Amino acid sequence: MGRYKARWIGIAVLIIGAGLIAVLATRPSATVAEVQSPLVGHTAPVITGTTFDGSAFSLPTAPGHFVVLNFFASWCAPCQQEGQDLVAFQFEHQQSGDASMVSVVFGDTLSAARTYQTMLGVRWPTLTDANGKLTLAYGVSARPTTFVIAPDGRVAAYIVGAVTVKDLDRVMSAAKATHA
Amino acid sequence: MSTRRFPIWIVLGAVLVVALVIGSGVLDTTPVTAAQRAVAIETGIKCPSCEDLSVANSSAQTAVLVRNTVRQLIGEGKSDQQIQAYLVSRYGSAIVLVPPASGWSLLVWVLPLGGGVLAIAGLTTVLVRKRMNELVEPADAARADATLDAGASSDQLDARRQFLEQSLADAFAEHRAGDLSDQDYQALRKRDTARLAALDVRMVATGNVGVAAPVAGTGDGAAEPEGPVPTIMLSPSGVRPKRNRRQRLLISGAVGAFGTALVLLVALFAANRLPGQTPSGNATLSQQAQIQQMLAQAATLENDHQPGGAAQLYQKVLGENPQNEVAMAQLGWLEYQTGVQGKSASLINDAKAKLNQAVQLNPGDYAPRLYLGTVLLDQDNNASGAVAQYQAFLAANPPAALLHQAASLLRQAYTQAGVPLPSEVPAD
Repeated sequence: MGRYKARWIGIAVLIIGAGLIAVLATRPSATVAEVQSPLVGHTAPVITGTTFDGSAFSLPTAPGHFVVLNFFASWCAPCQQEGQDLVAFQFEHQQSGDASMVSVVFGDTLSAARTYQTMLGVRWPTLTDANGKLTLAYGVSARPTTFVIAPDGRVAAYIVGAVTVKDLDRVMSAAKATHA
Repeated sequence: MSTRRFPIWIVLGAVLVVALVIGSGVLDTTPVTAAQRAVAIETGIKCPSCEDLSVANSSAQTAVLVRNTVRQLIGEGKSDQQIQAYLVSRYGSAIVLVPPASGWSLLVWVLPLGGGVLAIAGLTTVLVRKRMNELVEPADAARADATLDAGASSDQLDARRQFLEQSLADAFAEHRAGDLSDQDYQALRKRDTARLAALDVRMVATGNVGVAAPVAGTGDGAAEPEGPVPTIMLSPSGVRPKRNRRQRLLISGAVGAFGTALVLLVALFAANRLPGQTPSGNATLSQQAQIQQMLAQAATLENDHQPGGAAQLYQKVLGENPQNEVAMAQLGWLEYQTGVQGKSASLINDAKAKLNQAVQLNPGDYAPRLYLGTVLLDQDNNASGAVAQYQAFLAANPPAALLHQAASLLRQAYTQAGVPLPSEVPAD
């Protein structure tokens, strides 16, 4: 009787362990953390500011297409890691016009940030956010942080850490399915 | 006439409550200023990019942003609740350091309270049981003694008798001193007198003759026990021993001193005051403290993008102490930035002179080294000179965040000067 009991306990532990491994193995990479934010599902805070060249920038409340808002710094390794993916994402979607990019400097000198983006080949508006209003309005606490804003102006996702084209496409697809 | 005195712990508890009430500032009717409100709110808001640190205690960029926002919202007339709600709407409920008393967070408040209540209940139960054991019925105690004394030697019985006599004497002294209530004293007296009487009977029966004599009166009107009583030496009726009075005086003095010290400690450490403000509300700052306060205010103004106000304060500090290298360096840096913006060569030269002076005043400080290196690199295209300053900057162990911010400048200077980049500089 005792032997059978031990056997059943062993089998139960194995099943639980296998289930845990299966769950962990099918989760997204830990480097991309789509996290909870009080902003997700709500109207995105107004995006206005000044770009590197001093011109004013303002995004419509309902932009009509997806907007990827990326907070970055030139010295931050995960920001550098995702840089090429952001450029690729913009390139892919500027043809169809269903998504655009906006960057915000977060904790960096403007000269360093601008040099970094020039080297990367960025062709989208980057806001200096000198007074930190955008950073606070979006509750940003780490870099890089990426928000995906749906065409109707609501925040569809809030991602902390380096993103890939695949991650952004997945978030967009999920948002389209939700709003379809 | 019997009088019951308050036990010491009630006096101590009352002193503690009074001290906490005074220290908490509940009785303080002074109007709260905007700065005090800001500090109070900031103390309860978590720095978004830190671990368990309030924005009031952090210099991180996000903490500075939140602080500025709090002050701005106060200026706009928002209530504390509205400000907190705004921050929660941006960062989530985790931004609040004090968890709300609702939902699952309620457990944080309830569990310690429940634990405390359970602990007190358990302790009370133990103490009551102990007291119940002490106050067993005289007949039961005598029966128990008889069982214990069966077969005991003469010496053992004598020892037991002395023990019971001493117990009665102790109970009398405690009752006199007010540490034992009338009810408990009578119960103890009745029990131990009965035990003593039973013991005397046994001693007579076994040939060990005990001395039985009437016990001295207690003088407090209590009923005298019947039967044989011990020959214990009690104090004369109605005369309070001098030793007890001295003890009471000593205890009263100790309690008073402890209470006073407690009130002072709580008032000193628990009250919510501005830096330099005394418990009485006066701000009696030393010159050094005033300078520190001005430097802190200037730094806040710099963070708020108010270089004019910051420069005025730095100049004021230098007026107080011309050798203050922090003010010298910061003023030099502000002048340099203003000079670059306004393309003023004289202002830039003045800034360089100040930064050089700051470096001379404290060669081990990283800030003037960084500023001077940056001026040499950007303004004079003197990469070698900049590298020399940056080397001193690195040797001074600057904060990691500042090193990250300065990394691109350092890389630029070292590359231009053809000097290998030190390993502590973050890679490109």
